[in-house]
Amino acid sequence: MWRYIVRRLMWVALVMFVVTFLTYIIFFVLPPFDPASAFAGKQPTPELIAEVKRQFGLNHPWFIQYLLFVKHLFLGDQYGWPGLGFSYATRQPIRDLLFHRLPITASLAIGAALVWLCIGIPIGVASAIKRRSLTDRLSMGFALFFVSAPVFWLGLMFLWLFWFKLHIASGTGYVPWTQSFGSWFNHLIMPWVVLALLFAAFYARMTRGNLIETMAQDYIRTARVKGLPEWKVIMKHGLRSSLTPVISMLGVDLGTLFGTAVVTETVFNLQGIGQWAITSVFAGDLPAVLAVTIVTALAVAIMNLVVDIVYAYLDPRVRYT
Amino acid sequence: MGKKRHLLSLVGLALTVTLVAAACGGNSKKSTTSSGTSAQKGGVYRTALEDFGFTDAFDPTGEYLGSAWDLFQTLGRTLINYKHTAGAAGNVLYPDLAQAMPTVSSDGLTYTFKLKPNIKFAPPINRVITSKDIEYSFERMNIQKLLAGYAFYYGPGVIKGFTGKATSAQPISGIETPDPNTIIFHLEAPVGDFLYRMSMPATAPIPREVASCFDNKPAGTYGRYVISSGPYMIQGSDKLDASSCSTLKPISGFDPSSKLVLVRNPNYDQSTDNLRANYVNGIDVRIDSNTDDIFNKISAGSLDGTFASTPPPTVQRTYTTDQSKKDLLKINSADRTWYMVMNMSVAPTDDIHVRKAINYVLDKAAMLQAWGGSTAGTVAEHIMPPVVIGGNLAAGQFNPYASPDNHGDVTKAQAEMKLSKYDSNHDGMCDASACTNTLMINRNYGPWKAEEASVVSQLAKIGIKAKAQELATSAAYQAIQTPKNKVPLGLNVGWGKDYGDAYTFAFPLFAGASIIAANNSNMALVGLTSSIAKSVSAPFPSTAPPSVDSDIATCEKIPATDAARNQCWANLDKKLMNDVVPWAPYLWSNVRDILSTSVTKYDFDQFAGQIAFTQVAVNNNLSPSAS
Repeated sequence: MWRYIVRRLMWVALVMFVVTFLTYIIFFVLPPFDPASAFAGKQPTPELIAEVKRQFGLNHPWFIQYLLFVKHLFLGDQYGWPGLGFSYATRQPIRDLLFHRLPITASLAIGAALVWLCIGIPIGVASAIKRRSLTDRLSMGFALFFVSAPVFWLGLMFLWLFWFKLHIASGTGYVPWTQSFGSWFNHLIMPWVVLALLFAAFYARMTRGNLIETMAQDYIRTARVKGLPEWKVIMKHGLRSSLTPVISMLGVDLGTLFGTAVVTETVFNLQGIGQWAITSVFAGDLPAVLAVTIVTALAVAIMNLVVDIVYAYLDPRVRYT
Repeated sequence: MGKKRHLLSLVGLALTVTLVAAACGGNSKKSTTSSGTSAQKGGVYRTALEDFGFTDAFDPTGEYLGSAWDLFQTLGRTLINYKHTAGAAGNVLYPDLAQAMPTVSSDGLTYTFKLKPNIKFAPPINRVITSKDIEYSFERMNIQKLLAGYAFYYGPGVIKGFTGKATSAQPISGIETPDPNTIIFHLEAPVGDFLYRMSMPATAPIPREVASCFDNKPAGTYGRYVISSGPYMIQGSDKLDASSCSTLKPISGFDPSSKLVLVRNPNYDQSTDNLRANYVNGIDVRIDSNTDDIFNKISAGSLDGTFASTPPPTVQRTYTTDQSKKDLLKINSADRTWYMVMNMSVAPTDDIHVRKAINYVLDKAAMLQAWGGSTAGTVAEHIMPPVVIGGNLAAGQFNPYASPDNHGDVTKAQAEMKLSKYDSNHDGMCDASACTNTLMINRNYGPWKAEEASVVSQLAKIGIKAKAQELATSAAYQAIQTPKNKVPLGLNVGWGKDYGDAYTFAFPLFAGASIIAANNSNMALVGLTSSIAKSVSAPFPSTAPPSVDSDIATCEKIPATDAARNQCWANLDKKLMNDVVPWAPYLWSNVRDILSTSVTKYDFDQFAGQIAFTQVAVNNNLSPSAS
């Protein structure tokens, strides 16, 4: 197992190299415009633009810029480790901004994941057990609706209904849990639910399908014949093996959410890394774009590894060498 | 089965009733017009915007953004300033830190200012501001690596010894400080609008003991440590440890990602300032990435009004059609012109008749609709907004390309096209190959995209088949601002004043000396010579583009206090529209502010082009939130 983990980590390093290289090419080399111009004022002189380029490190050939970026990433820069440079827009160290925003995205992603698991799996189980019943039809109708409903629309509707009209929810924004746990929770409950409803729908359908298939296996019939109560047959024997693909999906979804919950973060004004990525792209703040890309790619790669390891523990038939 | 269907129907009915009740329930607060009661001191003006968008991280030395300048009116007093009010009155100069307008030598080369005594910096500096502090602000602008965006207003060629290329803060030979209350500027040549340049935020005093710690850091770093000389300060300034550079930490009230909170400067003396009323106890600016949320919060009363945020069309419609809300929508001139630029060095726009024909044919009324209708602005009749030229050439006084209801005049356009060398059979339609697939740069979103169809359709009526290339804002500007790209038409462009004098239009946009190889603001290439064309890799047409350099120089020499100066700029505008025709201006845009009913007094800062924080009053009785 350890050899497998080491091998996978080496692949993660290779993936990160390819991702950062391609991102560098896309944002620093290919664009038809000069990023320095956006920060040189309304009537920049050629000397001013040259000075901006020098300060931003854009005066070197692009491959030198990339090598310097990799060097600072591993060895750190004047702001510490990892060396991600400074934001063109705010002149703040990127690592400080990243560490400030990561907890917000993590709060959103992990909280939403817990909510969608709590909603999706029970609905999937109920639906699988009572196939073709009213429960099943309502559950799958719920799944269909929330799979189809765009997240931005759902978010705006929730805000309009629960905050603007009914005044029962906190508005947009984020309050750190260290400042006030209650306020932190109140501000996140709507974004959690909005984000979770989409994923819950997927997870309900997947759980239902897997459980139906598992409940038709011979060992389930054996468990019943042995006299086990039906709930034990479902929860201990049926659900356990049908959840393994769900765990895989959870890992990938959680990793991906770290950079792609941008719509939810924008609608609910959560200053996470997804929203940061979008504003940075529009503002031409390329170091920030690179930083978010690194974090997102790393999150997906690491979560995939974690999921594979958990898979091996859940399913004794899976062994890595 | 029947029972289940019945149950389902009841559930559906209950849900519907709940949603309808919620929708029709309305808010607990009714929208009423602003009470119009007299302004009271106190409260906090709470606002939000999508992104600060600062160009130099809020460092006053380099910051070149109107909304930042608006905030600097609360943080920085300059020698000369304005009354922070709307209209032409908002562009009139008054002494601020200076006791009176300066003494100017008869040759216009020496300006002597006397400072008001005992005006102090905010905490933690707490000392009296001296002439040395103002001198230092110029020394900072002179340092090349601090990226002072408008240092060119001060040199080279303006203040003696000011080059904009210094490597460190060092004395400037043209600035004298004989005593703590006197500062003297020696100019290389008379500059008629010098006093306007002395109102710019970068000239506000800066304490050397704090800012010098950042002269060797990336440009803009001082932006998180701005020490106020104005009526407000950044919340947390009093807790800043300025005993040494190493003890300095960013002021807590400013986080570029989330907020800027201003509170009263305890060292400010209202009796020394008749330009600012300073009603509110604080100004709370937050970042909110959801534009709809900002306006919902204003409507719900949890924000007091907008700041640098354009209302979406649905919100605008609400405030223009609902009688109870009309008073809460404030509309003021942005002193900005949106236009189509025409490159005079490439075909077919190198022919003045083509350029005139384009001016005639554009359906400016349709373009205004694309921008949101009458609240978005007024149809531009010439280049410079009337407020910028002291009210000269007001609407209706000079409209050389007028058309019925501003829908374009195809007949006149075709008559003009017939005179062009690109209409070989004189049928009013351009038939040269340059009129097929004529490249037109545009932005890929917003009103620019919305107006594109009308523009393409109208140009086709004079035989110009425009091929629009839609790009993101930065890319669009870079495409059109690089002369070697040879782009004939640009629809993505607009220009606003820097201060209330038309020099800030005339020189950067129409002077030959302004033409550069990249980020060129004279996109039409007015005044292009063969040597300039060679230096910027632009083609030089067979007929040299006209030059207005001598007109600009003539107007620039007239002192800004002389009404003849604005008349001179107005005459230049006429010459540009009649004899040069570099643009087809179509919109003088507005700034639209939406207020909550908590606002009891509102004014617009015409200099900065945003709400006047120093004149607004609210009745929310709030205190600034803890940082």
